[in-house]
Order: sequence, then structure tokens, then C-alpha cells
Amino acid sequence: MIETLDLIRANAPLLLIGLRSTLYLAAVTLVAATGIGVLLGTLATLRPRWIRALSALYVEVFRDIPLIVTIFAIFFGGPFLGVPLEPFPAVALGLSLWGGANGAEIVRGGLQSIPHGQREAATALGLHLWKIYLLILWPQALRAMLPAFTGLLALIVQSTSLGALVGVTEFLKAGGLIIETSTVMRGVNPAFGVYGFVLLVYFAICSVITALSRWLERRLARRGGVNTVRAPDAARV
Amino acid sequence: MEFDLDYLLRQGPALRAGLMVTIQVSAIAIVLSIAIGLAGAAARMLRVPVLNQAFVGYVEFIRNTPLLVQIFFVFFGLPTIGLTLSLFWSGVLSLTLWAGAFQTENLRGGLATISSGLREASRALGLTSFQYLRLVGLPLAVRVSLPSILNTCVSLVKNSAYVSAIGLQDLSAVAFERIANDFRAFEMLSVLLAGYLALVLSLSFSVRVLEHRLQAPFRR
Repeated sequence: MIETLDLIRANAPLLLIGLRSTLYLAAVTLVAATGIGVLLGTLATLRPRWIRALSALYVEVFRDIPLIVTIFAIFFGGPFLGVPLEPFPAVALGLSLWGGANGAEIVRGGLQSIPHGQREAATALGLHLWKIYLLILWPQALRAMLPAFTGLLALIVQSTSLGALVGVTEFLKAGGLIIETSTVMRGVNPAFGVYGFVLLVYFAICSVITALSRWLERRLARRGGVNTVRAPDAARV
Repeated sequence: MEFDLDYLLRQGPALRAGLMVTIQVSAIAIVLSIAIGLAGAAARMLRVPVLNQAFVGYVEFIRNTPLLVQIFFVFFGLPTIGLTLSLFWSGVLSLTLWAGAFQTENLRGGLATISSGLREASRALGLTSFQYLRLVGLPLAVRVSLPSILNTCVSLVKNSAYVSAIGLQDLSAVAFERIANDFRAFEMLSVLLAGYLALVLSLSFSVRVLEHRLQAPFRR
């Protein structure tokens, strides 16, 4: 126990580099997933059936394929298709495609939570479609989607750990490197303590984000009477 | 690169073996995780002193940590304190613990929707809390939460691909090994897409049948 703490303290710089990489990856993914989510989620609420079908197909494919397979396909399959990517961009791309599918579901839910009459009223007043979305639907949907997107961020932070498998030195990989070095140099395998510590750090980060998501949900429901979109669940994405 | 069907057929046996591993790991973990879920939901409903809080902590912990780190912890971490499991059972254990937390929540949610009148009626009839759960609460809760239980099972099958990270030769491990060795990305990625879709869809179908049968007593 004490040795593990010493080991972690001695390797704090490496762990911090890993943590920074994890958070950076999560931030990039959140931005890209939001972009994809807003685009596809909006398309899913448009009139033409084929547009809705395309959006649904995208969502279905990236939610049904295991995320690890998506990332491996991009990283290992990319070179064969003529798009070799470095580990970090490959993982960021895979996470964004997957996160975008889940974001699209949230955005669709948010837009659909707004009473249909508002849209009809806006149309009757002669507003353009893009103005209806920009001025009426999106601003209201934003409030309904906020807790769910916060919940999605917690899932994204967890999923960045997959970067370790293709060579991104994020937090899990940093822990793995410490274990390897210690095993080789000192002949002691500290895997239990170090991976336990890694679990606890993820738990701390994600609990805070999850708590924030729940708090937003309660607050929006109480203050604004907003029917928020349900936050995605690790066992549903 | 062209799609080489002959090549694909030659890899049939290896892929089938990988698919079997995926199915076995998932099937065992599904059964065990539902058992955990039943125990957890019962413990939380009956407010069994220590177990109740233990299950709250367990569910929160699993939900807020990455599955991949859980798998690494079980496979690399536990042996260093003397708990050595084989590759296969490490995979099963991690997936079971992961899904068990979600099944606990699913079933607890199902139990919570059952009207308290039924519970009061059971007590009036002299049933103990445990008898209430076994005869009334859980059978109804399973029906109510079946869709969410199914969702968790589907996720479990999907996430069983994570065990390839510790070297278990499941479907995705076999396929990616072929990509690395034979440079057959196109064929193997098609196999993965088709394989996981088939598993997920057949699981949804079988549960729809099950749902139909569970509803039988309530149909005329």
C-alpha cells in the first residue's frame, strides 16, 4: 500500500501527462460529437423521409458496432484504405463518430420535446426553416439537452481509455507504463495498486460530471419546468 | 483491393471459433449479471442493512469507471494479490460485474414501478417480504424492466469485444489478427459488422419472443 503510494508519487509527472491527454481527447471528442450530433439530430427532425433514414442509419451503425472495433478499424484499417492516421487523431475520430451518434439521439430528443405547435406557429408567421431552428427550436432544445450532454461527457471520458490500446499515452496507458517499469526494474508487480488508483481517478472525475448532470436535470425541471432528455447510459450506448 | 470471398471462406473455422468465444463469454456473463441484478434489486428493496449501501456503492463505482480499466484491473491487478483467473474467466468476471450493476438498476427501477398496494396486500395476506419479492415483486419487475434488461444484454454482447484487449481470442481479436497478418481489412471489417449486427439482432428477436410469452397471462 505504502509502496504503491510512493510509486504513484514518484511517477506523478507521467500520470499528469496521461491525465492531460485524457482530458484533451475528451474535450476534442465532445466538440466534434456535439457538431455531428446537432447536424444529424436536426436532420432527424426534418420532413423528407430519406434524410431521416440516413440519419437513423448512421446512428444505428455507430451504436451497434462495439466502439473498440470502430477505433481499431480506423487505426488498423485506415492504412489499407489510404488514410493512415496517428494514434491520437485515429482515436479522436473513432470517439467522435460514436459520440456523434449518441449526441444525435440527444439532439433529436431535445428537438422533439418542443411542442409541435410552436413550429407550426412559426411557419404560419412566415419564418424560414433555418430561422425556426435558430431562433425557436435550438435555444429551447439546448436546455432540455444540457443534462444529457453532460452525461455523455462522462461516457466520453471513460471511453478515452480505449486510446491505450492503439498507443495514445492517456491516463490508463500511463498507469500501464508505470507498472511495466516497476516490474522490470524492481521485480515487483504493482498492477493491483496502480490500476486500482487509475480506477479511483476515473471514478472521481466521472462522479463529478454525473453529479453535475443530475443537478442540472433537477434544477431545470424545478426552475424552468423543462422536460429534459434522458442522459445516455453506458449500458445503452 | 478486391473483396476475396475464397479468402474469407478459408478463415471460416478461425472466425467461427472466435464467434463461439464471444457467444460463450457473453452468455455466461448475461446469466450471472442477471443473478447479481436480482440479488441487488432485492437487497435494495428490502433495505438489507449493509448490502443495501454496498450495492449503491457498487453500482455508482461501475457506472463511473471505464470498462476497459475494470478488465485490466481484474486481469492484471487481481493476480498480484494472489487471485489468479484464466483469461476466459477474467473476461467473464469483468463483464459480469459491469453488467450486474446495470441489471441491478434495471430491476430496481422495475420494482419501484409496482404499486405499493400490492406490497401491502401481500403483507395483509401474511407473506413475508422475501415471499412478496419472490412471488409478486420480482416476477412483475422482470416484465416491466425487460426492455432495459435487454438493452444491457445487447451492450454486454457488444462490449464483450473489450476482452480482446487482454488477449482473449474472441471474434474481434481473430478478425484484427487477420487484418494485421494478411492485410485483409475489407473482408474482416465486413465480418465484424455482420457478426455483431447478427448477434445484436438475434438477441433482440429472442427477447421479443420471450416478452410475448411473459405477456401471455395478461392476454385474452
